[in-house]
Amino acid sequence: MRALRWFALSVGAVVFLLPFAVLVRDGVGGWSEVFSDREIPLVRSLLNSTVVAVGQTVGQVVLCALAGYGLARVPYRHASVVLYAIVATLMVPTAVTFLPSFVVVSSLGWLSDLRGLIVPGLFSALNVFLFRQYFQDFPTPLEEAGRLDGLTVWGVYWRVVVPNSRGFVAAIAVIDFIGSWNQFLWPLIIAQDSSTWTVQVALSSLLTAQNPRITLLFAAATVSILPIVLIFVVLQRYLVRGVTETGLTGQ
Amino acid sequence: MGAELNRRSFLVVAGLLGLAACGSDTGREGSAAGTLRHWYHAYGEDGVQDAVRRYAAAYPGAKVEVQWNPGDYDSKIVTALQNSAVPDVFEAQLKVDWVRQKQVVPLDDLLGDTRDDFVRTLLDSQTVDGKLYGIPQAIDTQILYYRPSLLEKAGVTPPKTLDELVEAVKRLDTGSVRGLFAGNDGGVAVLTGPLLWSAGLDFLSRDGKAPGFDDARAAMVFGKLRELNQGGLLLGSPTDWSDPGAFVNGLAAMQWTGLWNLPKITAALGGDVGVLPFPRLDMAGDESVPVGAYSAMVNARSADVAAAKAYVKWLWVEKTDYQTEFATAFGAHLPARQSLAAKTAQNGPGREVVEFVTRSGRIAAPARWSSRANLALSDAVSRIAREGADAAGELGTALDVARDEIARLDR
Amino acid sequence: MRRSARTFWLFVGPFVAGLLVFTYVPIGWSTYLSFFDAHNTVAPTDFVGLANYVDVLTDGEFLGSVSTFTVFAAFIIPTTTALALALALLVNRIRFARTFFRSVFFLPFACSYVVASLVWKMSLFSGVDSGVVNTVFGWFGGEPQAWIGTVDPPLYWVVLVTVRLWLQLGFYMILFIAALQRIPGNLYEAAWIDGASPRQAFRHITLPGLRGTLIAVLTLNLINAYQAFDEFYNILGDSRGYPPFARPPLVYLYYTSLGSGGQDLGRGSAGAVVLALVIALVTLLTGRVFRRSQ
Repeated sequence: MRALRWFALSVGAVVFLLPFAVLVRDGVGGWSEVFSDREIPLVRSLLNSTVVAVGQTVGQVVLCALAGYGLARVPYRHASVVLYAIVATLMVPTAVTFLPSFVVVSSLGWLSDLRGLIVPGLFSALNVFLFRQYFQDFPTPLEEAGRLDGLTVWGVYWRVVVPNSRGFVAAIAVIDFIGSWNQFLWPLIIAQDSSTWTVQVALSSLLTAQNPRITLLFAAATVSILPIVLIFVVLQRYLVRGVTETGLTGQ
Repeated sequence: MGAELNRRSFLVVAGLLGLAACGSDTGREGSAAGTLRHWYHAYGEDGVQDAVRRYAAAYPGAKVEVQWNPGDYDSKIVTALQNSAVPDVFEAQLKVDWVRQKQVVPLDDLLGDTRDDFVRTLLDSQTVDGKLYGIPQAIDTQILYYRPSLLEKAGVTPPKTLDELVEAVKRLDTGSVRGLFAGNDGGVAVLTGPLLWSAGLDFLSRDGKAPGFDDARAAMVFGKLRELNQGGLLLGSPTDWSDPGAFVNGLAAMQWTGLWNLPKITAALGGDVGVLPFPRLDMAGDESVPVGAYSAMVNARSADVAAAKAYVKWLWVEKTDYQTEFATAFGAHLPARQSLAAKTAQNGPGREVVEFVTRSGRIAAPARWSSRANLALSDAVSRIAREGADAAGELGTALDVARDEIARLDR
Repeated sequence: MRRSARTFWLFVGPFVAGLLVFTYVPIGWSTYLSFFDAHNTVAPTDFVGLANYVDVLTDGEFLGSVSTFTVFAAFIIPTTTALALALALLVNRIRFARTFFRSVFFLPFACSYVVASLVWKMSLFSGVDSGVVNTVFGWFGGEPQAWIGTVDPPLYWVVLVTVRLWLQLGFYMILFIAALQRIPGNLYEAAWIDGASPRQAFRHITLPGLRGTLIAVLTLNLINAYQAFDEFYNILGDSRGYPPFARPPLVYLYYTSLGSGGQDLGRGSAGAVVLALVIALVTLLTGRVFRRSQ
C-alpha cells in the first residue's frame, strides 16, 4: 500500500513536471535572440506586464482593504446595504462582464492604454469580502490601545491595523499579482497597440500566427513565467495562505 | 515639380493640423503627438517587415511607427476600429460595416490621374457607394502547386476538373507523401471560394443583393471537399498553408498556397514545379484563382486624418519604386498598378499565373460579404468537410445568416 | 453620527465609486445595448426590442456552445474534484518530502493558460511524429495522431481537458489539504480504537470534514468551466479565427461582438445576459441538489 502510494506520487510528479521540462528544452535554441527579436516585443511587454501587475496589486490591496475595514469596523446606518451591493456583484461572473466593461473602457478612450488595462480590474468585490472577514476577527484590544493614544479611526487603521496585518495583506497581494500577470482575455481586447501588449498577449499573438516561430516562442514563454516561479520559491507560504483564503469563500 | 509642390503644400497642411492635434488628447501613451501608427498583418515572407519599416522611416512628413501584427489580424482591426484612435493607417480588405459606421474615410482625392493606372477590379473591391476607401497595395493570389515528377510517377495528369483533382489526390497519397496540402483545417479557409466558383456559384449574387450559393450544386461541391478530407489530404503539418514548408519538404505532392511563395519553391525544387488554377467542377463552372488585395486605409478616429491621408498618398500613390519593391522583392506578388506590372515581366510559372489572374481572377473578399456571413459559411463548410455533416442543412443555416446580413447592410 | 458616516465613506467610498463605474454602469449599459442594433457602435440609436434575444436564442451556434459547455462542465468538474482530492489525500498521508510533492503539484498554478497552451499545442500534442505524446505512443506501437486537427473522433478534447487538469488540480489540492489538516486528529484515533476500517474512517470522518471545501471547489469549478476562454482560444484559434467546434460561450461572445464574426455589440450583450442567467441557474440548481442531499 505504501509502495503504491509512493509510486503514484512519483509518476504524478513526473507528469506534472514534464511540461516545464519541455518548455525549457524547446526554448534553448531561442535564448540568444529572445530579447532582441523585433517580432516579439518581449522587453516592452514584460515591462507592461510588470506595470499592470504591480499597479493592479497595489491598487487592489489598498482600495479593497480600506473598504473591507470600513465595512467591518466603522458603524454606519446603511453599511449592510452597501455590503449587499458589493457582494451581489460576486454573483455576476467576471467573464460575463468583459463585454460591458469593454464598452465603458472604449468610451473612456482607454483602448490601447495602460489605464484601461489597470483601472477596471482594481475593484474586486471578492477581496473586499475577504478583508472584511479578516478585519472582523482583528483583535479589538490593539485598536482600543491606539484610540487611547489619541489616534482617529483613520490613524488607527494605518498605524495599528495595517502593520499588524502584513501576513494577510501579503497573502492577498501574491494571489492578485499572479492573477494579474497571467490574465489574458482583458488585455487581449484592450491592448490593441503593441506598445501596450502584456506578455500574455504578445505570446498569444505569436502562438496563433500563421507560421509561429516555435523556438523563439518557447524561449519567450520561459522568460515570462520566471517572475511567478520566483514568487513560488520565495513566497510560497503566503501563496498557500492566499489560495486557502480565496478558495474558501464558496462556503 | 508637381510632386514637390504637393509635398510642400501638404507639409503646410500637416503642420497646421499637427498643431491642432497637439491640443487634443489622443488618449494614448508611448508615442509622441503627431506620430502616425501604421499596422500591417504579419507577412510570412522574409524582409517585408524591414522594408515597410524602412519606408515609414523615409517619410519626410511625420514620424511613422509600424506595428507588425501576428495572429488573428482581422479581429484586431475590427476591435481597434470600434473606438480607438490607433492605428491611424492600416491595411485590410474593406467591409461595408466600416463605411456605414464611418470608421474609415474616403480616399478618392488621393489618386488624382493615377486612378486609371490601378487594376480596375481591385479598386472596385475597395469601393462602396461610389467612394474608394482603400488604396490597393499589391495583388495577392493563390494557386495549386504540383510536382510534375511525382504526378508522372503516379500516372496522373495535372487535374483539369474537380473530380480529377480528387482522384489525383488519392493516387498521389503514399502515406509518407500525402496527395495535397491545403491547410491544417482541411482546406476550409482557403478553398471555400474556389469551390464555389468551380460550380459557377459565388459568395454573393451578381448584384450583391442575395447570397450567391443558394443552389443544390453548393452541397455537391462541398461534398467534394469532404471526399478530399477522407483521404489523401495532409493534416497536422507544422507549418500552415501560407508557408511553402510542407510542399518544399516533400510532405505533399501538391499544395494550395500563395503566389508569394513561388521564389522559395522554385529555389528549393528547381524545375520540378507546375502551377494550376483551381479546377472547375464541370462546364457550368469556372476554373479560378482568388484575387485579394490588402489596401491601405485611414482610421476615421485618427487624431490627424489629413496627415494619415497624406502619408498614404505618399507611400501608396507617389512612391512607385517602393510599391514595386513591396510587390516583387520579397516573394512574388503582382503590383496593383498596370504601369508597374508591365515593368516586372515574369517568366516561367510566374507568367502562367499572370494569365490565370487576368483570365480567371475572382475577388476573394467582397466588401459586401460581411464577416458574420463569412463565419457562418466557413463554419458550415468545416462541418460538412471535416465532420461529414449534412450539407444541405448546414448550408441552409449559412444562407439564413447571409440573407440576414445582406438585409441589414441595406437597412 | 454624521462624523461616523463620513469616516465610513472615507474608507468605502473610493471602492464603491469604482465599482459603480466599472461594474454597475457596464452591466446597465450592456443591458441597454442588448435592445438595440449596435453594430460597431456603443451609442446605438436603432431600438430593436427583443430581436437580439430572439437572435441569440435561435442561434444554433450559441445554443450549441452553451450545451457543449454544460456537458464539458458535467465531465470536468467531477474529474477535477476527484483527482484533486486524491492528490491531497496522497500528499497529506506521507511524512517524508511532503512539501516537495505539494509544491510540484501546485507549481502549474504559476503557469499562465497561454504558456500552457503553447506547450500543449506545439510540443506535447503536436501532430508531427516527434511530438511528445506521439513519441510515447510510438513506444507502445501506436500510430502518430494529429491531436488538434482531428475532428472525427474529436481528439482535441484530450488536449483541452488535460491542459485544464494540469493547470487547476494543484489549486484545488491546496484547498483540500488545508481542509484535511483542519480535521482533528483525535477523531481518527477514536475511530481506530473503535476498530473502524480506513474506508469507514474516510466515509464517516474525512468526507463530512471536507463538506464545506467540496462545495467551494465544485462552485469555483462550475463558474470556471463556463468561463473557459484562454486555453481554447490559444489552442484552437489561429490567424483565420476559430473553428466551429469546441467553441466556449465566451469565445462565441468574443467573436460575435469584437472579433471577425460580426462586430455586433447588441447581440453580444444579449448573449452575455443570457449566459449570466444560465450560470446563475446552474449554480442555484446544484446548490439545491446539495442542500437536499444534506
